[in-house]
Amino acid sequence: MVKNMNAEKKKTEDIAECGPENIRMKTQNLSVFYNNDQALHDINLDIACNKVTALIGPSGCGKSTFMRCLNRMNDYVENCRVTGKVRLDGFNIYKDNVDTILLRQKVGMVFQKPNPFPKSIYENVAYGPKIHHLIDNKDELDALVEKTLRRVGLWDEVADRLAAPGTSLSGGQQQRLCIARAIATKPEVVLMDEPCSALDPIATARIEELIAELEKKFTIVIITHSMQQAERVSHHTAFFHMGHIIEAGDTQKIFNDPEHQKTKDYIGGKFG
Amino acid sequence: MIKLFERRTRIAMHRVKRKKSPFIYKSYSKKPKHRWLRKRNAQERRFKRTGFIAILIAFLFLASLVWNIFSNGYSAFTETQIQLPVTFEAELIEKDAYRTIIQNSLLELFPGIEDRKEKRDLFSLVSRNAPHILKDIIEENPEAIDRKAMVWIPASSAISIFYKQHVHEQAKRSGKISPSQVAWVTDLARTKNMRLKFNWAFFKNGDSREAEQAGVLASTMGSFMTILICVLMAFPLGVATAIYLEEFARKSWFTDFIEININNLAAVPSIIFGLLGLSIYLNIFGLPRSSSLVGGMVLALLILPVIVIATRNALQAVPPSIRYAAAALGATPTQVVFHHTLIYALPGIMTGVILSIARAFGETAPLLMIGMVAFIADVPKTFTDPATTLPVQVYLWANNPELGFVEKTAAAIMVLLTFMVLINLLAIYIRRRFEIKW
Ligand SMILES: Nc1ncnc2c1ncn2[C@@H]1O[C@H](COP(=O)(O)OP(=O)(O)O)[C@@H](O)[C@H]1O
Ligand SMILES: [Mg+2]
Repeated sequence: MVKNMNAEKKKTEDIAECGPENIRMKTQNLSVFYNNDQALHDINLDIACNKVTALIGPSGCGKSTFMRCLNRMNDYVENCRVTGKVRLDGFNIYKDNVDTILLRQKVGMVFQKPNPFPKSIYENVAYGPKIHHLIDNKDELDALVEKTLRRVGLWDEVADRLAAPGTSLSGGQQQRLCIARAIATKPEVVLMDEPCSALDPIATARIEELIAELEKKFTIVIITHSMQQAERVSHHTAFFHMGHIIEAGDTQKIFNDPEHQKTKDYIGGKFG
Repeated sequence: MIKLFERRTRIAMHRVKRKKSPFIYKSYSKKPKHRWLRKRNAQERRFKRTGFIAILIAFLFLASLVWNIFSNGYSAFTETQIQLPVTFEAELIEKDAYRTIIQNSLLELFPGIEDRKEKRDLFSLVSRNAPHILKDIIEENPEAIDRKAMVWIPASSAISIFYKQHVHEQAKRSGKISPSQVAWVTDLARTKNMRLKFNWAFFKNGDSREAEQAGVLASTMGSFMTILICVLMAFPLGVATAIYLEEFARKSWFTDFIEININNLAAVPSIIFGLLGLSIYLNIFGLPRSSSLVGGMVLALLILPVIVIATRNALQAVPPSIRYAAAALGATPTQVVFHHTLIYALPGIMTGVILSIARAFGETAPLLMIGMVAFIADVPKTFTDPATTLPVQVYLWANNPELGFVEKTAAAIMVLLTFMVLINLLAIYIRRRFEIKW
């Protein structure tokens, strides 16, 4: 697994190729326990390659828990136990000998509250590539920082103050910086846990545009509480309820013609 | 009880009243009509006034302390000198009899004194260090031999105090100053053969039996050497302990146990650490007594728990979301700590460390236990030389009843307090300049 990922690192210069089935990640009978409370029950979900998958559901249903399984951030949660399999490009990332460091280079994450490092804007973007030794050359690093900041539409706003601390930006800019930071390590998958919930509508619209832009090159999993947002940005949607997936599939299908009553109620705003 | 009940009902009634007519304040006058409002305002005023009085009292204490030290000590920063017509006779210089030269010039200034006791009084006008000063002059300019020159010589401590502070009665009564000495000094002052000069000796000398020669250089250097050892030992150890406990150790009964012990250690009286140092460093390891090395090691034990606690607080102040952000980028736990958490906590850590240095700087009791209370005239050259520190020097001088040492004590306290203020200013500067607001 480690070797494979290393070998692949060379290959994935810009776009990670999708496999024949067009499935980037896949969970099999994934269950998660906090102490002895089960938070997720036998989740089976396929995440399509270079598409946007939205996770929706009421608070506390286990969306964040599920997302943290995809890059093994649950390792940092005390008393958290995971059973089942999560496959990235066919490899089970919960095998014992998996290097979680390399995994997290492949699967980036954006958090609910913008959390840029209190270092310079430049350092925020350059940090990931540096620690993964993706680039050792200063000029190339400069180029990568510029390219990444352009990609998230931040370059024009910050080009003249790259040395300013990332925390000095506005909330929306900070979140775009965090996205830039996550994609600078050239991941295959980007996880976003309610990336817009702390932002105003205009900043939210910009992030949504950005997601539409990024989906061409990255597989994106996004948690959102806004039904409109899920409908606008995603291709696939999974509806979670009390640790179970009630319904998953094509976004249009889920929003227009849900199979389950609960899905219908949730989307219609009857609970949640 | 009944009163309380009454009050409750009254308050309740007010509530009811307010509910009935949601009353709008017609005027914002300071004297409202309603009793509960008046009461509330009075309460606010009372609280403010009490706070102000408390601050005033604290300030008065501080001011009287500073005033007391300053008024006792400022005169130690000047030195009284007497101008003498000195004849550098080659014969006497050859015999190294500089004392005689001084005595001759004093006799030349006040001729006709025969009585032995009178002579002794005359000779004790100048510092006992005077012969050394003449020797230094000759060594620097040998061409002065067999010439006559006017030389300013430091006065002895008793004369100096008398001249500076005009404490006639006190000085006379203590038998330190004879009537003829008073007459001579008055005469010298009248003829402008006495003056006050900035007392460089206070900053250039170590301790001395003669108050006019005693200075703070040796003890200040001793303090700095001790603090250096202390920081070199406590800083890495304390920060490493805190990082381990805060960032790496899994919570268990063992880490809880360590945590409780560290917190308790911070409350242990400092003299206990001195005893510990005495029995371990001196008696078991056989390290040199009275040395700044052992002093620093003892003080390191003393501030170690403080540094651990300050560092842990600073690390805790870094929000977990930053750690997750770094970890989600693929930073290893060690990288998370050394690239992020520790860096962002550093201003807080430095503030804590500097404040604990200030504490170590002013510490006396544990150093007494390991023999740093010795008489140190020379600046320590190595970390194993006998040394003393500023607060211990203050303690030593304060035990000396001589008037000259009273002013030295106050002056040494002023030097000590100056260092304290500087250290605290540094801590404030670092906090203002580098602290990260989350
Ligand atoms: N660190 C934790 N320790 C214990 N229980 C947790 C922890 N994190 C989440 N849970 C529980 O797991 C369930 C799912 O939480 P979460 O995944 O955060 O839901 P969502 O993101 O959908 O709001 C909740 O019942 C929550 O109480
Ligand atoms: Mg959540």
